[in-house]
Amino acid sequence: MLKLDRSFLLGKVKAIYRVVSKGESPLQLILKKMMEQEIIDGVISARKEGGRIVPKLFKAPSEIELSPLNTFFGVNTLLKKAIQKYHLSRIAVVAPSCVMDGLNKTQYYGIGCNWVKTAVALKVGILCTGALTQESLNCEVLDLLGEREEVERCYYTKEGLAYGLSSGRELLVNVEVHHHYVSSACKYCLNLSARGSDITYIPEKEENVGIFIIRSERGGRTLGLLQKEYPSLLKFSSLKMSDISHVEELLKKKMILNIDSILERVEVGLPGSKWDGNRFRKFYRVWNAIGDFNIEEVF
Amino acid sequence: MFFSREDFIREDDLKVKVGFFHFSSCSGCQVSFLDMFEDAVEILDTVELVYSNMLTKRETVPRMHVAFAEGALCIEDRRHLSLARELAEKANIIVTVGACASFGGVRRLSVGSQPPQPSHQSFLPLTEVEILKGKVKYAIPGCPPNPSLLYNFMLALLEVNEDFLQPFEFMASSRDASGYDVVKEVINKGLCVGCGTCVTACPARALDFNYTYGKPTFNPLFCVHCGSCLASCPQSFKPYPQPVY
Repeated sequence: MLKLDRSFLLGKVKAIYRVVSKGESPLQLILKKMMEQEIIDGVISARKEGGRIVPKLFKAPSEIELSPLNTFFGVNTLLKKAIQKYHLSRIAVVAPSCVMDGLNKTQYYGIGCNWVKTAVALKVGILCTGALTQESLNCEVLDLLGEREEVERCYYTKEGLAYGLSSGRELLVNVEVHHHYVSSACKYCLNLSARGSDITYIPEKEENVGIFIIRSERGGRTLGLLQKEYPSLLKFSSLKMSDISHVEELLKKKMILNIDSILERVEVGLPGSKWDGNRFRKFYRVWNAIGDFNIEEVF
Repeated sequence: MFFSREDFIREDDLKVKVGFFHFSSCSGCQVSFLDMFEDAVEILDTVELVYSNMLTKRETVPRMHVAFAEGALCIEDRRHLSLARELAEKANIIVTVGACASFGGVRRLSVGSQPPQPSHQSFLPLTEVEILKGKVKYAIPGCPPNPSLLYNFMLALLEVNEDFLQPFEFMASSRDASGYDVVKEVINKGLCVGCGTCVTACPARALDFNYTYGKPTFNPLFCVHCGSCLASCPQSFKPYPQPVY
């Protein structure tokens, strides 16, 4: 049987840092400085424009402004534009795991966009407990709060997922309510912490504080370089696994709901897409197996 | 296994023999092979190109391990029928390259500014031709497929990387491919995460993205039935190897 242990929930972890930056979000500042240093030549992510979140290709440091909400729909639509139109060759992609899945697939197979394998310099995954459209987000807030209010930011506290509202108040989100409102596909997600990326970013309550989970050599080297170059702008403090136990708890709660949705899907017999090789049924078999499988070999 | 020890006659002849065959198409898929540039040279160290209407002078089809075929079979063209017979006899396996050979592609529509000649009006993808059925093992989607995809595919074929090749085997038994696949196989089944990979994969801009609903939208008028959208979707088959679980 699969275990909802740390390695399943958080994946490979090389180091964890809490980064405090001057003024803006540490991830945003890091990307700006990376572009100034010419470590990257473009950023693909999303930003707020005219009241809604749209994917955006940033080609200059001053343009970079990341989405404050957990909404990164359509980020991969910009891959071809960045690589084949603008000939960018050191792109950073900032998005949750579902977008990374599409990117990893394009890199591995080469379907979709040409030479993505060599054009992406850094993959920054965003910790995600499910994406919501603007309408779902409004309904969720109405459900939890009993009144309409605009959500300004999405972040993680010791108590769990929280929204910063336009009135300045904080709204703690019940995971079960959240599970009801997220996109259908997010209910079957098994990669909430963006495994497969170089760095996973977890925004915190203060806008200028964030946790970085380093997963790859590339991610570690990049942050190390910036730490050396900008000691006055970026303050790094090393964290232990126990310091992010609240994140692990939150992921566990959401993962149980997701696994429940997958098992229900298989039991009812809802079909998967063609060519997928019965992925959910395989998961069902592994989940219900007595032996201890290595899930990496099974999928 | 599509090549065995007995296939290599002489000890100094250990290269895998491949051929490129052209049915009814624009030749874009062969051009895509040539677009690999220096990477193609790396592959040519281990393979021998025994037939290509663009690159070799040979007129008869020799025996070979892998035949890459592009284009749809035109029922009215005798040369296509005889080439199909020859391929069935002389190739160990056939890989259909691109939309026309794999799913029909634009040839299924036979529309455009220039109507087809009376003697060339019915087209079938090679995957639907009975005589080739046992031979067509893999189908590569795309119009044309990316050079990087063809490069990765060639490497996987030479290394017999079954994890990589398996999805292309699924595609060889798939009858049709279009943007409706994304709608009915992914969106309607509640599997679309809204990543937008299908939109970037579409060569004809038949897929667009609705940012309000976080899902792709499909315009069938532009679709060339190449299968890239569903093939690129992370929900159609998961990338191998998976990010560490």
